[in-house]
Amino acid sequence: MPEPGPACVSVRDLTKRYGAVEAVAGVSFEVSEGEVFGIVGPNGAGKTSILECLLGLRAADSGSVTIAGVDALRSPGRAKERLGAQVQLGSLQDKITAREALGFFASFYERRAGVEELVGRFGLGDKADAPFDSLSGGQRQRLLLSLAFVNNPEIVVLDEPTAGLDVHSRRELGGLIRGMRGSGLTVLLSTHHLGEAEELCDRIAILDNGRIIALGKPSELVSRSRARPRLEVKTARPLAPADASSLAGVVGSGAGDQACWLETADVGATVTALMARLASDSNALLDIAIRRPTLEDVFVELTGRSFPAAGAEGQP
Amino acid sequence: MMRACIYRGLLRHFALTLRLNFRSRQAVIYGFVMPVLFLLAFAGIFRGDTPLLQHEMGQLLTITILGGACFGLPTAVVAERERGLWRRYRLLPAPMGGILLATLAARLVLLAAAALLQVVLARAIYGTPLPAAPAQEAVAFLFTSFSFLGLGLLVTAVADDVPSVQALGQCLFLPMIMLGGVGVPLSVLPAWAQRVAGFMPGRYAVGVLQRCSSSASGLSGQGFNLVALVVIGAAAGAIGVRLFRWDAGRRAGRPAWAWVASALFAWVLVGGAAAATGRLGPAAPGEDDFESITDAEVGEVTFDDLPGDNELATRLAPPFDAAEAQHMAEFRGMLEAWPPGRLEDKAQAARNLLSVAAVADITANLREAEIARVVFNVLVARSPRGELERILAWIILNPEGGSVVNHVPELGLRRRPTEAIVRERVTLYAKKLLGRLEGKIQEESQQR
Repeated sequence: MPEPGPACVSVRDLTKRYGAVEAVAGVSFEVSEGEVFGIVGPNGAGKTSILECLLGLRAADSGSVTIAGVDALRSPGRAKERLGAQVQLGSLQDKITAREALGFFASFYERRAGVEELVGRFGLGDKADAPFDSLSGGQRQRLLLSLAFVNNPEIVVLDEPTAGLDVHSRRELGGLIRGMRGSGLTVLLSTHHLGEAEELCDRIAILDNGRIIALGKPSELVSRSRARPRLEVKTARPLAPADASSLAGVVGSGAGDQACWLETADVGATVTALMARLASDSNALLDIAIRRPTLEDVFVELTGRSFPAAGAEGQP
Repeated sequence: MMRACIYRGLLRHFALTLRLNFRSRQAVIYGFVMPVLFLLAFAGIFRGDTPLLQHEMGQLLTITILGGACFGLPTAVVAERERGLWRRYRLLPAPMGGILLATLAARLVLLAAAALLQVVLARAIYGTPLPAAPAQEAVAFLFTSFSFLGLGLLVTAVADDVPSVQALGQCLFLPMIMLGGVGVPLSVLPAWAQRVAGFMPGRYAVGVLQRCSSSASGLSGQGFNLVALVVIGAAAGAIGVRLFRWDAGRRAGRPAWAWVASALFAWVLVGGAAAATGRLGPAAPGEDDFESITDAEVGEVTFDDLPGDNELATRLAPPFDAAEAQHMAEFRGMLEAWPPGRLEDKAQAARNLLSVAAVADITANLREAEIARVVFNVLVARSPRGELERILAWIILNPEGGSVVNHVPELGLRRRPTEAIVRERVTLYAKKLLGRLEGKIQEESQQR
């Protein structure tokens, strides 16, 4: 990953209320030039409200937002020139073609990307003249994403870009976003897929109830977690609990019928000790899985609640 | 100041809206096929008229504009808002007002295309005459479209979804079709319904469009109708802009409905003004058609059955000398200022003035003969001779048309004769004046 550049997006003490509900409560963060920054949180955490204030879709109650040196709250028009965005629930007319949509949205900007270049870059070549309602889900999502690039933006904001997509389309879109890394483009991405954020983002802010509860590189956040790697081991004969807990590096263990789990401070030492013990006991290893701590563990530690499964949530 | 690229984008939005409209089967059916079906239906219903549809073009064009503005516009915009398109527009560096204006401009072009199609098809299929005052018909179209697009914008602003558009649109469409003189001609509606129609924009739209379709005098005398359309459209449009929502997530709350009520108050204001100025009288078939009276029709009027000026009915004083004129000056001043006698609809104004002479005559007012002469003098002073002849001939040939006034206490005539006898005397007085204008009846002073 290239070294982060100067701050390209700066959000300071941003608050947004909807009646009595404080959706965003004094949020501050900065995004460096060329960085892919993720805003992660469960439904209702305030992700979309932050992005909407940043994009000029909502008026913030207080705080400041600076986009590439432009005060986005005071001069939203100038900020919009520098931004590209894909927002939730932002579809197109049934009968518009990809080529028409790209040309139309580009026509409002002084600095414009070529329509044909975008058609090629987002893999819409063979569907460029097909009406929107004849495109597959993935093709539609690629077209909607491509619209965020019609003005050659310095910063791209993607609000839940993979929401509602099938696995194949999500992978496809993930590939496109990964392709943005290292291109100098600054990306702000909101998602409630923790794994997606961990995989795609240079840094993430975990949001809960309108507040940032953790901010940093995914690996740093995970390493700060008290959670340990866990080995899930299936053997021909059950391991005795005392044997399991005495293995090198093991800090906790538990057992099922033919399987047990071992929480370890040192994966290598524990696996080596486990193999030696099984050999000496003439026991056979049937299966082993290593589960490392994830952002979900971080969320659970910080909030005391489990992170809602993405598929089980509604749209924020 | 907006940059050139914003204007370019808005122009592109305008063109794209038009193009996509023609790709939508539903939009084409509602915007173009339905008006044609109305045309065919009207031709079937009014098949006895000659020339066919000439007196219904105002209604047909109003239906087309009303449908396109109060259903077509809100359905398209609300559907786009529901799918988040307006949310996407909001991300553009262009002002939302500009995008809305480009959308309205595109809708205006679609309305014009549908109206033109109706006029051309009526001509091609039924031989309906083209508008008698085409340039003024275009102006009337613009005023009507302004009014109904304002209402369409209001529906767009308060409808939460497309089914709500249908419900709200019907709330506007059906009353105007049934009671507003748009679908059912005003002249066949009962008197109470005709008065109710005065509180709806449809009546004024039909009035201006029909006048320009069938009369070369076009918008002459249509000032009130045009102002009524502007007031109703401006009130609805201003409130529609104020309540406009780009985000489907935001719903129209109770305050929005208070604003809607204030927009509809403009209807009450217009209707009240029309009632106060005597414009809500019953209408007759082709009531604004005195212009279509030919010289031959004027010449066909006979005067054999008229009572003499000194007989019991329809007494009429000889032309005044200076002293008599001075004696009646106060009454003449009151009559000249009397609102029902100053209507923009000249034929109805003349019928109202003749009603005053008739009421004075029937109620045996002491100055009945002098009052009739004052009425004659005012009528002669108001209109050029040729026009007054056509107006009088039209009143004579349509004795049951328009409305008559049978109670005028404001002019000192406190008794109230029946409407039927007033109508009869109005016709007789119209003949007496027409005969004098044509030189077929001599004044009594001359006879003496």
